[in-house]
Amino acid sequence: MSIQRMSLNTLAALVIGAVIALTVSSGTVLSLLTQAIIYAVFAIGVGLLLRQNGMVSFGHALYFGAAGYGIGIILQLGLMPAELAIVVTLAAIAIVGLLFGLVIVRVPGIAFGMLTLAIGQMFFLTASRARGLTGGADGMSIDWPSTLFGISQSVLLRPANLFMLCWIVLVGIILLLALLLRSRFGSITEAVRDNEERARFIGISTLLPRAAVYALSALVTGVGGVLSALNTGFISPESLHWSLSGMTLMMVVVGGYKALWGPALGAVVYFLFKDILGDYADHWMAIFGIALITVIVFSPTGIAGALQKLRFRHQATPAKAAVSSH
Amino acid sequence: MNNYVLQAEDVAIHYGGVKAVDGVSLTLEKGQIRGLIGPNGAGKSTVIDAITGRRRLTRGKVMLGTEDVSALGVVDRRMRGLSRSFQRTSVFGQMSVRKQVELASHKMGVSDSAADADAVLEELDLRPLANVIAEDLGYGEQRRLDLALALVGHPSVLLLDEPMAGLSVQESHDLAHHLTALTSRRDVSVLLVEHDMDVVFGISDVVTVFELGRVIASGAPSDVRADPRVREAYLGSAA
Repeated sequence: MSIQRMSLNTLAALVIGAVIALTVSSGTVLSLLTQAIIYAVFAIGVGLLLRQNGMVSFGHALYFGAAGYGIGIILQLGLMPAELAIVVTLAAIAIVGLLFGLVIVRVPGIAFGMLTLAIGQMFFLTASRARGLTGGADGMSIDWPSTLFGISQSVLLRPANLFMLCWIVLVGIILLLALLLRSRFGSITEAVRDNEERARFIGISTLLPRAAVYALSALVTGVGGVLSALNTGFISPESLHWSLSGMTLMMVVVGGYKALWGPALGAVVYFLFKDILGDYADHWMAIFGIALITVIVFSPTGIAGALQKLRFRHQATPAKAAVSSH
Repeated sequence: MNNYVLQAEDVAIHYGGVKAVDGVSLTLEKGQIRGLIGPNGAGKSTVIDAITGRRRLTRGKVMLGTEDVSALGVVDRRMRGLSRSFQRTSVFGQMSVRKQVELASHKMGVSDSAADADAVLEELDLRPLANVIAEDLGYGEQRRLDLALALVGHPSVLLLDEPMAGLSVQESHDLAHHLTALTSRRDVSVLLVEHDMDVVFGISDVVTVFELGRVIASGAPSDVRADPRVREAYLGSAA
Protein backbone atom coordinates (compact mmCIF):
# COMPACT_ATOMS: atom_id res chain seq x y z
CA MET A 1 0.00 0.00 0.00
CA SER A 2 1.34 3.43 -0.87
CA ILE A 3 1.88 6.07 1.81
CA GLN A 4 -0.83 8.13 0.15
CA ARG A 5 -3.37 5.33 0.40
CA MET A 6 -2.38 4.81 4.02
CA SER A 7 -2.85 8.41 5.03
CA LEU A 8 -6.17 8.47 3.21
CA ASN A 9 -7.35 5.33 5.01
CA THR A 10 -6.18 6.70 8.34
CA LEU A 11 -8.04 9.92 7.78
CA ALA A 12 -11.17 8.03 6.77
CA ALA A 13 -10.92 5.83 9.87
CA LEU A 14 -10.59 8.87 12.14
CA VAL A 15 -13.60 10.54 10.52
CA ILE A 16 -15.66 7.36 10.99
CA GLY A 17 -14.68 7.30 14.66
CA ALA A 18 -15.65 10.94 15.11
CA VAL A 19 -18.99 10.36 13.42
CA ILE A 20 -19.73 7.42 15.73
CA ALA A 21 -18.70 9.42 18.80
CA LEU A 22 -20.88 12.37 17.79
CA THR A 23 -23.97 10.56 16.55
CA VAL A 24 -24.36 7.69 19.00
CA SER A 25 -26.10 9.22 21.96
CA SER A 26 -26.63 6.11 24.08
CA GLY A 27 -23.94 5.80 26.73
CA THR A 28 -24.48 2.05 26.93
CA VAL A 29 -23.82 1.55 23.25
CA LEU A 30 -20.76 3.80 23.39
CA SER A 31 -19.28 1.96 26.33
CA LEU A 32 -19.92 -1.35 24.60
CA LEU A 33 -18.08 -0.04 21.56
CA THR A 34 -15.29 1.28 23.76
CA GLN A 35 -14.86 -2.14 25.28
CA ALA A 36 -14.81 -3.69 21.81
CA ILE A 37 -12.13 -1.24 20.67
CA ILE A 38 -9.99 -1.97 23.75
CA TYR A 39 -10.13 -5.67 22.97
CA ALA A 40 -9.46 -4.84 19.34
CA VAL A 41 -6.11 -3.40 20.44
CA PHE A 42 -5.46 -6.53 22.50
CA ALA A 43 -6.39 -8.75 19.55
CA ILE A 44 -4.11 -6.83 17.18
CA GLY A 45 -1.22 -7.68 19.50
CA VAL A 46 -2.08 -11.38 19.40
CA GLY A 47 -2.70 -11.24 15.65
CA LEU A 48 0.64 -9.56 15.01
CA LEU A 49 2.45 -12.50 16.59
CA LEU A 50 0.51 -14.93 14.41
CA ARG A 51 0.91 -12.85 11.26
CA GLN A 52 4.63 -12.04 11.50
CA ASN A 53 5.93 -15.04 13.42
CA GLY A 54 3.35 -17.68 12.64
CA MET A 55 3.04 -18.31 16.39
CA VAL A 56 -0.08 -18.81 18.49
CA SER A 57 0.03 -17.45 22.03
CA PHE A 58 -2.32 -18.68 24.72
CA GLY A 59 -0.84 -16.35 27.29
CA HIS A 60 -1.11 -12.80 26.02
CA ALA A 61 -3.59 -11.89 28.78
CA LEU A 62 -0.40 -11.67 30.84
CA TYR A 63 0.54 -8.42 29.11
CA PHE A 64 -3.02 -7.14 29.11
CA GLY A 65 -3.39 -7.64 32.85
CA ALA A 66 0.19 -6.65 33.65
CA ALA A 67 -0.49 -3.16 32.27
CA GLY A 68 -3.33 -2.65 34.74
CA TYR A 69 -1.43 -4.15 37.66
CA GLY A 70 1.73 -2.21 36.83
CA ILE A 71 -0.07 1.12 36.82
CA GLY A 72 -2.30 0.15 39.75
CA ILE A 73 0.62 -0.81 41.99
CA ILE A 74 2.74 2.19 41.03
CA LEU A 75 -0.14 4.57 41.79
CA GLN A 76 -1.01 2.78 45.01
CA LEU A 77 2.55 3.12 46.25
CA GLY A 78 2.65 6.70 44.96
CA LEU A 79 5.96 6.16 43.20
CA MET A 80 5.46 8.56 40.29
CA PRO A 81 2.84 10.58 38.43
CA ALA A 82 0.26 8.58 36.46
CA GLU A 83 1.52 9.75 33.06
CA LEU A 84 4.99 8.47 33.85
CA ALA A 85 3.52 5.28 35.32
CA ILE A 86 1.88 4.52 31.97
CA VAL A 87 5.13 5.01 30.09
CA VAL A 88 7.20 3.02 32.59
CA THR A 89 4.70 0.17 32.66
CA LEU A 90 4.61 -0.09 28.86
CA ALA A 91 8.40 0.06 28.65
CA ALA A 92 8.65 -2.69 31.26
CA ILE A 93 6.17 -4.84 29.31
CA ALA A 94 8.20 -4.41 26.12
CA ILE A 95 11.44 -5.33 27.91
CA VAL A 96 9.95 -8.32 29.71
CA GLY A 97 8.34 -9.36 26.41
CA LEU A 98 11.73 -9.21 24.69
CA LEU A 99 13.42 -11.25 27.44
CA PHE A 100 10.66 -13.89 27.45
CA GLY A 101 10.69 -13.78 23.66
CA LEU A 102 14.41 -14.49 23.41
CA VAL A 103 13.81 -17.70 25.34
CA ILE A 104 10.44 -18.99 24.18
CA VAL A 105 10.40 -18.20 20.44
CA ARG A 106 13.07 -20.90 20.05
CA VAL A 107 10.43 -23.46 20.94
CA PRO A 108 8.46 -24.53 17.87
CA GLY A 109 4.77 -25.17 17.29
CA ILE A 110 2.35 -26.29 19.94
CA ALA A 111 5.07 -26.40 22.61
CA PHE A 112 5.39 -22.63 22.23
CA GLY A 113 1.66 -22.25 22.84
CA MET A 114 1.89 -24.40 25.97
CA LEU A 115 4.83 -22.36 27.27
CA THR A 116 2.92 -19.11 26.84
CA LEU A 117 0.00 -20.73 28.65
CA ALA A 118 2.23 -21.85 31.52
CA ILE A 119 3.91 -18.46 31.91
CA GLY A 120 0.58 -16.67 31.77
CA GLN A 121 -1.00 -18.90 34.39
CA MET A 122 2.05 -18.52 36.61
CA PHE A 123 1.43 -14.78 36.77
CA PHE A 124 -2.31 -15.32 37.17
CA LEU A 125 -1.67 -17.39 40.29
CA THR A 126 0.93 -14.98 41.59
CA ALA A 127 -1.50 -12.08 41.30
CA SER A 128 -4.26 -14.13 42.91
CA ARG A 129 -2.10 -15.03 45.91
CA ALA A 130 -0.26 -11.77 46.51
CA ARG A 131 -3.09 -10.30 48.55
CA GLY A 132 -0.99 -7.58 50.15
CA LEU A 133 0.05 -5.99 46.90
CA THR A 134 -2.70 -6.86 44.43
CA GLY A 135 -5.75 -7.50 46.58
CA GLY A 136 -5.62 -11.14 45.52
CA ALA A 137 -8.67 -12.60 43.85
CA ASP A 138 -10.73 -9.50 44.76
CA GLY A 139 -8.61 -7.35 42.50
CA MET A 140 -7.64 -3.74 43.13
CA SER A 141 -8.99 -0.42 42.06
CA ILE A 142 -6.67 1.95 40.26
CA ASP A 143 -6.32 5.41 41.80
CA TRP A 144 -6.24 7.53 38.70
CA PRO A 145 -5.47 11.17 39.54
CA SER A 146 -8.08 13.85 38.83
CA THR A 147 -6.26 14.99 35.69
CA LEU A 148 -4.37 12.90 33.15
CA PHE A 149 -2.15 14.55 30.53
CA GLY A 150 -3.80 17.83 31.49
CA ILE A 151 -7.34 16.57 30.90
CA SER A 152 -9.64 16.24 33.84
CA GLN A 153 -11.01 12.80 34.59
CA SER A 154 -14.64 13.75 34.25
CA VAL A 155 -14.02 14.95 30.69
CA LEU A 156 -11.85 11.98 29.80
CA LEU A 157 -14.28 9.39 31.09
CA ARG A 158 -17.30 10.80 29.28
CA PRO A 159 -18.37 7.85 27.05
CA ALA A 160 -17.97 9.69 23.74
CA ASN A 161 -14.53 11.01 24.68
CA LEU A 162 -13.24 7.73 26.01
CA PHE A 163 -14.49 5.99 22.89
CA MET A 164 -12.73 8.53 20.69
CA LEU A 165 -9.51 8.17 22.66
CA CYS A 166 -9.53 4.37 22.27
CA TRP A 167 -10.43 4.69 18.61
CA ILE A 168 -7.52 7.06 17.95
CA VAL A 169 -5.13 4.75 19.75
CA LEU A 170 -6.39 1.80 17.70
CA VAL A 171 -6.05 3.62 14.39
CA GLY A 172 -2.63 4.94 15.42
CA ILE A 173 -1.38 1.46 16.29
CA ILE A 174 -2.58 -0.01 12.99
CA LEU A 175 -0.93 2.85 11.09
CA LEU A 176 2.38 2.52 12.95
CA LEU A 177 2.44 -1.23 12.50
CA ALA A 178 1.64 -0.90 8.80
CA LEU A 179 4.51 1.56 8.40
CA LEU A 180 6.88 -0.65 10.37
CA LEU A 181 6.01 -3.76 8.39
CA ARG A 182 6.62 -1.96 5.10
CA SER A 183 10.19 -1.43 6.21
CA ARG A 184 13.09 -3.87 6.11
CA PHE A 185 11.97 -5.21 9.48
CA GLY A 186 8.75 -6.37 7.82
CA SER A 187 10.48 -8.33 5.06
CA ILE A 188 13.01 -9.85 7.44
CA THR A 189 10.32 -11.14 9.80
CA GLU A 190 8.28 -12.44 6.85
CA ALA A 191 11.31 -14.30 5.53
CA VAL A 192 12.00 -15.84 8.94
CA ARG A 193 8.35 -16.85 9.30
CA ASP A 194 8.18 -18.41 5.82
CA ASN A 195 11.41 -20.34 6.03
CA GLU A 196 13.63 -19.90 9.05
CA GLU A 197 16.37 -22.22 7.86
CA ARG A 198 16.69 -20.53 4.50
CA ALA A 199 16.64 -17.14 6.21
CA ARG A 200 19.81 -18.12 8.06
CA PHE A 201 21.38 -19.13 4.77
CA ILE A 202 20.81 -15.68 3.31
CA GLY A 203 22.53 -14.19 6.33
CA ILE A 204 19.63 -13.38 8.66
CA SER A 205 20.14 -14.06 12.36
CA THR A 206 16.65 -15.29 13.08
CA LEU A 207 16.31 -15.17 16.87
CA LEU A 208 16.28 -11.42 17.41
CA PRO A 209 13.65 -10.57 14.76
CA ARG A 210 11.33 -13.23 16.17
CA ALA A 211 11.85 -12.05 19.73
CA ALA A 212 11.31 -8.45 18.59
CA VAL A 213 7.96 -9.35 17.04
CA TYR A 214 6.98 -11.09 20.27
CA ALA A 215 7.97 -8.04 22.31
CA LEU A 216 6.09 -5.75 19.93
CA SER A 217 2.96 -7.87 20.18
CA ALA A 218 3.27 -7.81 23.98
CA LEU A 219 3.59 -4.03 23.88
CA VAL A 220 0.51 -3.59 21.70
CA THR A 221 -1.45 -5.86 24.02
CA GLY A 222 -0.14 -3.81 26.94
CA VAL A 223 -1.52 -0.63 25.37
CA GLY A 224 -4.90 -2.36 25.29
CA GLY A 225 -4.42 -3.12 28.98
CA VAL A 226 -3.75 0.54 29.77
CA LEU A 227 -6.94 1.57 27.98
CA SER A 228 -8.86 -1.08 29.88
CA ALA A 229 -7.41 0.14 33.19
CA LEU A 230 -8.55 3.64 32.26
CA ASN A 231 -11.98 2.43 31.22
CA THR A 232 -12.78 0.30 34.27
CA GLY A 233 -10.48 1.82 36.90
CA PHE A 234 -10.11 -1.68 38.23
CA ILE A 235 -7.90 -4.72 37.72
CA SER A 236 -8.33 -8.32 38.87
CA PRO A 237 -6.59 -11.62 38.16
CA GLU A 238 -9.26 -12.39 35.57
CA SER A 239 -7.47 -9.99 33.26
CA LEU A 240 -4.47 -12.34 33.43
CA HIS A 241 -6.41 -15.56 32.98
CA TRP A 242 -5.76 -17.80 30.00
CA SER A 243 -9.45 -17.84 29.06
CA LEU A 244 -9.06 -14.18 28.16
CA SER A 245 -6.14 -15.08 25.89
CA GLY A 246 -8.31 -17.76 24.33
CA MET A 247 -11.17 -15.33 23.78
CA THR A 248 -8.83 -12.92 22.01
CA LEU A 249 -7.50 -15.73 19.88
CA MET A 250 -11.10 -16.39 18.76
CA MET A 251 -11.40 -12.74 17.75
CA VAL A 252 -8.18 -13.06 15.75
CA VAL A 253 -9.41 -16.17 13.96
CA VAL A 254 -12.86 -14.76 13.22
CA GLY A 255 -11.49 -11.44 12.02
CA GLY A 256 -8.54 -12.94 10.17
CA TYR A 257 -4.87 -12.32 10.86
CA LYS A 258 -3.52 -11.81 7.35
CA ALA A 259 -4.71 -8.22 7.40
CA LEU A 260 -3.45 -6.07 10.26
CA TRP A 261 -6.95 -4.76 10.96
CA GLY A 262 -8.54 -8.23 10.83
CA PRO A 263 -8.25 -8.98 14.57
CA ALA A 264 -9.82 -5.59 15.35
CA LEU A 265 -12.77 -6.46 13.15
CA GLY A 266 -12.98 -9.81 14.95
CA ALA A 267 -13.14 -8.06 18.32
CA VAL A 268 -15.99 -5.80 17.20
CA VAL A 269 -17.91 -8.75 15.75
CA TYR A 270 -17.37 -10.68 18.99
CA PHE A 271 -18.79 -7.92 21.17
CA LEU A 272 -21.74 -7.29 18.85
CA PHE A 273 -22.53 -11.01 18.92
CA LYS A 274 -22.20 -11.07 22.67
CA ASP A 275 -24.51 -8.11 23.12
CA ILE A 276 -27.18 -9.04 20.59
CA LEU A 277 -27.26 -12.80 21.22
CA GLY A 278 -26.73 -12.38 24.95
CA ASP A 279 -30.20 -10.82 25.14
CA TYR A 280 -31.81 -13.90 23.68
CA ALA A 281 -29.73 -16.81 24.80
CA ASP A 282 -27.77 -17.60 27.97
CA HIS A 283 -25.44 -19.83 26.07
CA TRP A 284 -24.60 -17.36 23.36
CA MET A 285 -21.04 -18.69 23.28
CA ALA A 286 -22.37 -21.89 21.71
CA ILE A 287 -23.82 -19.83 18.87
CA PHE A 288 -20.61 -17.88 18.54
CA GLY A 289 -18.78 -21.21 18.42
CA ILE A 290 -20.83 -22.23 15.41
CA ALA A 291 -20.03 -18.93 13.75
CA LEU A 292 -16.35 -19.52 14.50
CA ILE A 293 -16.43 -22.97 12.90
CA THR A 294 -18.26 -21.59 9.88
CA VAL A 295 -15.62 -18.93 9.38
CA ILE A 296 -12.74 -21.41 9.76
CA VAL A 297 -14.28 -23.81 7.24
CA PHE A 298 -15.37 -21.32 4.61
CA SER A 299 -12.80 -18.57 5.01
CA PRO A 300 -9.66 -19.67 6.84
CA THR A 301 -8.34 -16.14 6.46
CA GLY A 302 -11.29 -14.81 8.49
CA ILE A 303 -13.79 -12.11 7.69
CA ALA A 304 -11.01 -9.74 6.64
CA GLY A 305 -9.68 -12.35 4.23
CA ALA A 306 -13.14 -12.86 2.72
CA LEU A 307 -13.61 -9.10 2.33
CA GLN A 308 -10.22 -8.70 0.67
CA LYS A 309 -10.93 -11.56 -1.68
CA LEU A 310 -14.22 -9.95 -2.68
CA ARG A 311 -12.56 -6.61 -3.36
CA PHE A 312 -9.72 -8.27 -5.24
CA ARG A 313 -12.17 -10.11 -7.46
CA HIS A 314 -13.95 -6.83 -8.23
CA GLN A 315 -10.87 -4.75 -8.96
CA ALA A 316 -8.23 -6.99 -10.37
CA THR A 317 -9.84 -9.29 -12.88
CA PRO A 318 -8.16 -7.72 -15.95
CA ALA A 319 -4.78 -7.42 -14.21
CA LYS A 320 -4.86 -11.07 -13.21
CA ALA A 321 -5.57 -12.15 -16.75
CA ALA A 322 -2.54 -10.20 -17.92
CA VAL A 323 -0.25 -11.97 -15.43
CA SER A 324 -1.37 -15.46 -16.30
CA SER A 325 -1.17 -14.90 -20.05
CA HIS A 326 2.58 -14.49 -20.29
CA MET B 1 50.88 -20.87 0.21
CA ASN B 2 48.01 -22.52 -1.66
CA ASN B 3 45.26 -20.63 -3.41
CA TYR B 4 42.28 -22.76 -2.48
CA VAL B 5 39.07 -20.85 -1.88
CA LEU B 6 37.72 -23.74 0.15
CA GLN B 7 39.45 -26.51 1.98
CA ALA B 8 37.87 -29.24 4.08
CA GLU B 9 40.42 -31.17 6.11
CA ASP B 10 39.67 -34.55 7.63
CA VAL B 11 36.02 -33.60 8.19
CA ALA B 12 34.03 -36.11 10.21
CA ILE B 13 30.42 -36.11 11.38
CA HIS B 14 29.26 -38.88 13.66
CA TYR B 15 25.76 -39.40 15.00
CA GLY B 16 26.28 -41.56 18.04
CA GLY B 17 27.92 -44.62 16.57
CA VAL B 18 26.99 -43.84 12.99
CA LYS B 19 29.83 -42.35 10.99
CA ALA B 20 27.91 -40.38 8.34
CA VAL B 21 31.11 -38.69 7.21
CA ASP B 22 34.42 -40.09 8.33
CA GLY B 23 37.54 -38.14 7.49
CA VAL B 24 36.85 -36.37 4.22
CA SER B 25 39.28 -33.89 2.72
CA LEU B 26 38.57 -31.90 -0.37
CA THR B 27 39.57 -28.60 -1.93
CA LEU B 28 38.15 -26.07 -4.32
CA GLU B 29 40.22 -23.76 -6.48
CA LYS B 30 39.08 -20.41 -7.73
CA GLY B 31 36.54 -20.76 -10.53
CA GLN B 32 36.53 -24.53 -10.25
CA ILE B 33 33.51 -26.82 -10.39
CA ARG B 34 33.95 -29.95 -8.32
CA GLY B 35 31.36 -32.68 -8.76
CA LEU B 36 30.53 -34.83 -5.78
CA ILE B 37 28.95 -38.18 -6.49
CA GLY B 38 28.22 -41.36 -4.61
CA PRO B 39 25.37 -43.72 -3.84
CA ASN B 40 22.49 -42.67 -1.58
CA GLY B 41 23.60 -42.40 2.03
CA ALA B 42 27.24 -41.93 1.10
CA GLY B 43 27.32 -38.68 3.08
CA LYS B 44 27.28 -36.12 0.28
CA SER B 45 24.59 -33.87 1.75
CA THR B 46 26.12 -34.25 5.20
CA VAL B 47 29.42 -32.92 3.88
CA ILE B 48 27.59 -29.88 2.50
CA ASP B 49 25.89 -29.41 5.87
CA ALA B 50 29.28 -29.68 7.57
CA ILE B 51 30.94 -27.14 5.31
CA THR B 52 28.10 -24.62 5.58
CA GLY B 53 27.85 -24.96 9.36
CA ARG B 54 24.45 -26.60 9.54
CA ARG B 55 26.01 -29.59 11.31
CA ARG B 56 28.70 -29.41 13.93
CA LEU B 57 31.94 -31.16 13.06
CA THR B 58 32.96 -34.16 15.12
CA ARG B 59 36.50 -33.73 13.83
CA GLY B 60 38.45 -31.79 11.24
CA LYS B 61 38.26 -28.24 10.01
CA VAL B 62 36.89 -26.07 7.23
CA MET B 63 38.99 -23.29 5.72
CA LEU B 64 37.41 -20.54 3.66
CA GLY B 65 40.28 -18.85 1.86
CA THR B 66 42.86 -18.52 4.60
CA GLU B 67 40.36 -18.34 7.44
CA ASP B 68 39.36 -21.24 9.65
CA VAL B 69 35.54 -21.07 9.79
CA SER B 70 34.98 -24.36 11.66
CA ALA B 71 33.69 -22.63 14.77
CA LEU B 72 31.41 -20.17 12.96
CA GLY B 73 27.66 -20.54 12.51
CA VAL B 74 25.64 -20.57 9.31
CA VAL B 75 25.05 -16.81 9.21
CA ASP B 76 28.71 -15.89 9.73
CA ARG B 77 29.87 -18.31 7.04
CA ARG B 78 27.35 -16.94 4.57
CA MET B 79 28.53 -13.40 5.32
CA ARG B 80 32.09 -14.51 4.47
CA GLY B 81 31.03 -15.79 1.06
CA LEU B 82 30.08 -19.43 1.66
CA SER B 83 26.69 -19.98 0.10
CA ARG B 84 24.42 -22.93 -0.66
CA SER B 85 21.25 -24.09 -2.32
CA PHE B 86 19.03 -26.87 -1.02
CA GLN B 87 18.13 -30.34 -2.17
CA ARG B 88 14.49 -29.69 -1.42
CA THR B 89 13.68 -26.31 -2.86
CA SER B 90 13.88 -23.72 -0.13
CA VAL B 91 12.47 -20.30 -0.93
CA PHE B 92 10.20 -17.79 0.82
CA GLY B 93 6.77 -18.88 -0.34
CA GLN B 94 4.75 -15.77 0.46
CA MET B 95 7.18 -13.21 -0.94
CA SER B 96 7.64 -11.94 -4.45
CA VAL B 97 10.72 -13.10 -6.33
CA ARG B 98 12.38 -9.71 -6.44
CA LYS B 99 11.60 -8.88 -2.82
CA GLN B 100 13.30 -11.95 -1.44
CA VAL B 101 16.32 -11.78 -3.70
CA GLU B 102 16.72 -8.10 -2.89
CA LEU B 103 16.41 -8.88 0.83
CA ALA B 104 19.11 -11.55 0.58
CA SER B 105 21.36 -9.12 -1.24
CA HIS B 106 20.75 -6.43 1.36
CA LYS B 107 21.60 -8.82 4.18
CA MET B 108 24.87 -9.57 2.41
CA GLY B 109 25.75 -5.91 2.77
CA VAL B 110 25.58 -5.07 -0.93
CA SER B 111 25.19 -1.30 -1.15
CA ASP B 112 23.02 -1.29 -4.27
CA SER B 113 21.02 -4.38 -3.43
CA ALA B 114 18.31 -3.64 -5.99
CA ALA B 115 20.82 -3.62 -8.84
CA ASP B 116 22.55 -6.75 -7.55
CA ALA B 117 19.23 -8.55 -7.29
CA ASP B 118 18.21 -7.51 -10.79
CA ALA B 119 21.54 -8.68 -12.20
CA VAL B 120 21.16 -12.10 -10.61
CA LEU B 121 17.54 -12.38 -11.76
CA GLU B 122 18.62 -11.45 -15.27
CA GLU B 123 21.36 -14.06 -15.18
CA LEU B 124 18.90 -16.81 -14.26
CA ASP B 125 16.12 -15.67 -16.62
CA LEU B 126 13.90 -14.78 -13.68
CA ARG B 127 13.48 -11.13 -14.61
CA PRO B 128 10.02 -11.57 -16.19
CA LEU B 129 8.83 -13.32 -13.01
CA ALA B 130 10.22 -10.71 -10.60
CA ASN B 131 6.82 -9.71 -9.20
CA VAL B 132 5.35 -13.20 -8.90
CA ILE B 133 4.85 -14.68 -5.41
CA ALA B 134 7.27 -17.56 -5.02
CA GLU B 135 4.70 -20.25 -4.27
CA ASP B 136 2.99 -19.47 -7.59
CA LEU B 137 6.15 -20.33 -9.53
CA GLY B 138 6.67 -23.60 -11.36
CA TYR B 139 9.05 -26.11 -9.81
CA GLY B 140 11.92 -25.42 -12.19
CA GLU B 141 11.52 -21.69 -11.61
CA GLN B 142 11.60 -22.20 -7.85
CA ARG B 143 14.87 -24.10 -8.24
CA ARG B 144 16.34 -21.15 -10.10
CA LEU B 145 15.03 -18.78 -7.41
CA ASP B 146 16.72 -20.97 -4.81
CA LEU B 147 19.94 -20.56 -6.78
CA ALA B 148 19.38 -16.80 -7.08
CA LEU B 149 19.11 -16.51 -3.28
CA ALA B 150 22.46 -18.26 -2.99
CA LEU B 151 24.11 -16.11 -5.67
CA VAL B 152 23.46 -12.57 -4.46
CA GLY B 153 26.19 -10.71 -2.61
CA HIS B 154 28.95 -12.28 -4.74
CA PRO B 155 29.76 -15.39 -2.72
CA SER B 156 33.14 -16.98 -3.39
CA VAL B 157 31.92 -20.54 -2.88
CA LEU B 158 28.62 -22.06 -3.90
CA LEU B 159 27.53 -25.47 -2.60
CA LEU B 160 24.74 -26.97 -4.64
CA ASP B 161 22.86 -29.93 -3.26
CA GLU B 162 21.29 -31.76 -6.21
CA PRO B 163 20.20 -28.65 -8.10
CA MET B 164 18.86 -30.75 -10.98
CA ALA B 165 16.63 -32.99 -8.85
CA GLY B 166 13.16 -33.15 -10.32
CA LEU B 167 13.97 -31.10 -13.41
CA SER B 168 13.25 -32.21 -16.96
CA VAL B 169 16.16 -33.08 -19.24
CA GLN B 170 15.85 -29.73 -20.97
CA GLU B 171 15.66 -27.82 -17.68
CA SER B 172 18.73 -29.53 -16.22
CA HIS B 173 20.60 -28.90 -19.44
CA ASP B 174 19.72 -25.20 -19.15
CA LEU B 175 20.72 -25.09 -15.51
CA ALA B 176 24.06 -26.78 -16.27
CA HIS B 177 24.65 -24.14 -18.90
CA HIS B 178 23.83 -21.39 -16.39
CA LEU B 179 26.24 -22.91 -13.88
CA THR B 180 29.24 -23.02 -16.17
CA ALA B 181 28.53 -19.47 -17.32
CA LEU B 182 28.18 -18.30 -13.72
CA THR B 183 31.47 -19.70 -12.50
CA SER B 184 33.39 -17.71 -15.06
CA ARG B 185 31.26 -14.55 -15.02
CA ARG B 186 30.73 -14.28 -11.27
CA ASP B 187 34.06 -15.73 -10.23
CA VAL B 188 32.46 -18.29 -8.00
CA SER B 189 33.69 -21.81 -7.24
CA VAL B 190 31.12 -24.57 -7.11
CA LEU B 191 30.83 -27.80 -5.16
CA LEU B 192 28.13 -29.75 -6.94
CA VAL B 193 26.32 -32.75 -5.49
CA GLU B 194 24.28 -34.32 -8.24
CA HIS B 195 22.82 -37.63 -9.33
CA ASP B 196 22.67 -36.80 -13.00
CA MET B 197 25.94 -38.34 -14.23
CA ASP B 198 25.85 -36.61 -17.61
CA VAL B 199 25.67 -33.26 -15.89
CA VAL B 200 28.38 -34.02 -13.32
CA PHE B 201 30.86 -35.41 -15.81
CA GLY B 202 29.88 -32.80 -18.38
CA ILE B 203 30.51 -29.61 -16.39
CA SER B 204 32.88 -30.55 -13.55
CA ASP B 205 36.59 -29.77 -13.66
CA VAL B 206 37.24 -32.43 -11.04
CA VAL B 207 35.07 -35.18 -9.61
CA THR B 208 35.13 -36.71 -6.13
CA VAL B 209 33.46 -40.05 -5.42
CA PHE B 210 32.04 -40.90 -2.00
CA GLU B 211 31.21 -44.21 -0.48
CA LEU B 212 30.13 -44.82 3.12
CA GLY B 213 31.32 -41.43 4.31
CA ARG B 214 34.76 -41.64 2.72
CA VAL B 215 36.38 -40.47 -0.51
CA ILE B 216 37.21 -43.45 -2.70
CA ALA B 217 38.37 -41.57 -5.78
CA SER B 218 39.12 -38.04 -6.86
CA GLY B 219 40.48 -36.46 -10.00
CA ALA B 220 39.69 -35.40 -13.55
CA PRO B 221 36.35 -36.72 -14.82
CA SER B 222 37.96 -39.08 -17.34
CA ASP B 223 40.26 -40.58 -14.73
CA VAL B 224 37.46 -41.06 -12.24
CA ARG B 225 35.29 -42.66 -14.85
CA ALA B 226 38.07 -45.14 -15.59
CA ASP B 227 38.86 -45.94 -11.95
CA PRO B 228 38.02 -49.61 -11.35
CA ARG B 229 37.03 -49.03 -7.72
CA VAL B 230 34.53 -46.41 -8.78
CA ARG B 231 33.13 -48.63 -11.48
CA GLU B 232 32.70 -51.42 -9.00
CA ALA B 233 31.32 -49.39 -6.12
CA TYR B 234 29.04 -47.01 -7.85
CA LEU B 235 28.85 -46.60 -11.55
CA GLY B 236 28.34 -50.28 -12.28
CA SER B 237 28.70 -51.58 -15.79
CA ALA B 238 26.57 -48.75 -17.18
CA ALA B 239 29.48 -46.32 -17.07
